[in-house]
Amino acid sequence: MAERMDLEARLSGLSAELAWPPQPDLRARVRTAVLVRRRPWFESRWALAAVAVVAIIALLVAYTPTRTAIADFINLHTRITHTTVLPTPSPLPPGPIGTRLGFGNATTLEDARTHVKWTILLPSSLGRPDEVYLQTNDVPSGGEVTLIYGPGTGLPIAGQTGASVLITEAQGRVDEEFFGKIIANGTTVNPVTVAGHQGWWISGEPHEFYLVDSNGEVRVETLRLATNTMVLDVGGTIVRIEGNLTEQQAEQIGSSLS
Amino acid sequence: MEGRPEDDVELFTRAQRGSVDAFEEIVHRYQQLAFRTAYVITGSAAEAEEAAQDAFVKAFRALDSFRTGAEPRPWLLRIVSNEARNRVRSAGRRTRLELRLAEGFRQGDAAPSPEAAAVEAEERQRLLESVNALDENDRLVIASRYLLELSSEETAAALGIPEGTVKSRLSRALARLRERVEAQAGG
Repeated sequence: MAERMDLEARLSGLSAELAWPPQPDLRARVRTAVLVRRRPWFESRWALAAVAVVAIIALLVAYTPTRTAIADFINLHTRITHTTVLPTPSPLPPGPIGTRLGFGNATTLEDARTHVKWTILLPSSLGRPDEVYLQTNDVPSGGEVTLIYGPGTGLPIAGQTGASVLITEAQGRVDEEFFGKIIANGTTVNPVTVAGHQGWWISGEPHEFYLVDSNGEVRVETLRLATNTMVLDVGGTIVRIEGNLTEQQAEQIGSSLS
Repeated sequence: MEGRPEDDVELFTRAQRGSVDAFEEIVHRYQQLAFRTAYVITGSAAEAEEAAQDAFVKAFRALDSFRTGAEPRPWLLRIVSNEARNRVRSAGRRTRLELRLAEGFRQGDAAPSPEAAAVEAEERQRLLESVNALDENDRLVIASRYLLELSSEETAAALGIPEGTVKSRLSRALARLRERVEAQAGG
């Protein structure tokens, strides 16, 4: 017994003398990893950059003088057929807006209402949406509903999507704590109150924001229009109003939600 | 609140509500324990670093499973050691731990003669080599209990075995270590 105790004492004494490998500081990497959830390919910056490059090339090639200049520059000894230049060539892939942007399945308001637990809010100032999408995969518990408004609103169309206003609704809460840390330079976040509901007006550079879904999980959300956005917490339903909007226009839409 | 470090209960409660700041502080507090435990299991600093990092990310995602007020060390150790063991398993290799003594370390306040100090250091080095040479189960239980200074409950969590098994496994491991040390001294 005494021998065992002696051995144990000697072993315990070793712990203070060990040359452990240098201790890495894991904080920053863990923070990044927990904040950045794997996003669908269409939300990836690389994918967006690739789409932008393809769009630019398509524009350049579509424009006859540029195409000829490119052919001359790279000494392309191939005959290029001249075609009529489209006045507004579209860089966007074909298909409905919601499908392109991965909002889920196209549906109707009536059908979406039967699939979600909260009351879907509609802005009376815009009327019924042109498209409705329901996303149930990889979204806050309870699903996510996106209302898309086309040119009929009279508001400017955002070039990135072809929509004038996107309204996304999901159950959860916005974690204001993250705002100050992840918003890039050139982006401002101002708290607002719209029709008695707490909210934030995020304007300026493209940015991400975080919300905590009803399961308590932190989600990273990219603002798809890369434009100004109003986020409202309407009694536990997080409503995002995105578009080429002024704060006043977004407020008007937000205050007409019912 | 100011000036007083948050206790674990407060930190975990905030982290469970989604506070990444709180979780970062948890990482700060427990990263040494996580890294060293993973190192003892994998025998590789690089693997241990990745295992500890991935374990913290998984812990963040599993915060809901942490019972408020519970002791966080066993909970974290279970996640870290699972991650480390999975890495060893997927690498399909036997781990080889090569713990060394820090150079120039002098134990206690006594100032022995240089000769006595050298003898002591040599004995400690031999003991450590004997630990390194034990088979994996024996080495892990001894390293967890004495080198990482884990409690029985924590050792059980780190090894993924019941607490009762820790005692019996430790007893057998110590017996085999003693045999090894005596054989060395005799040889």
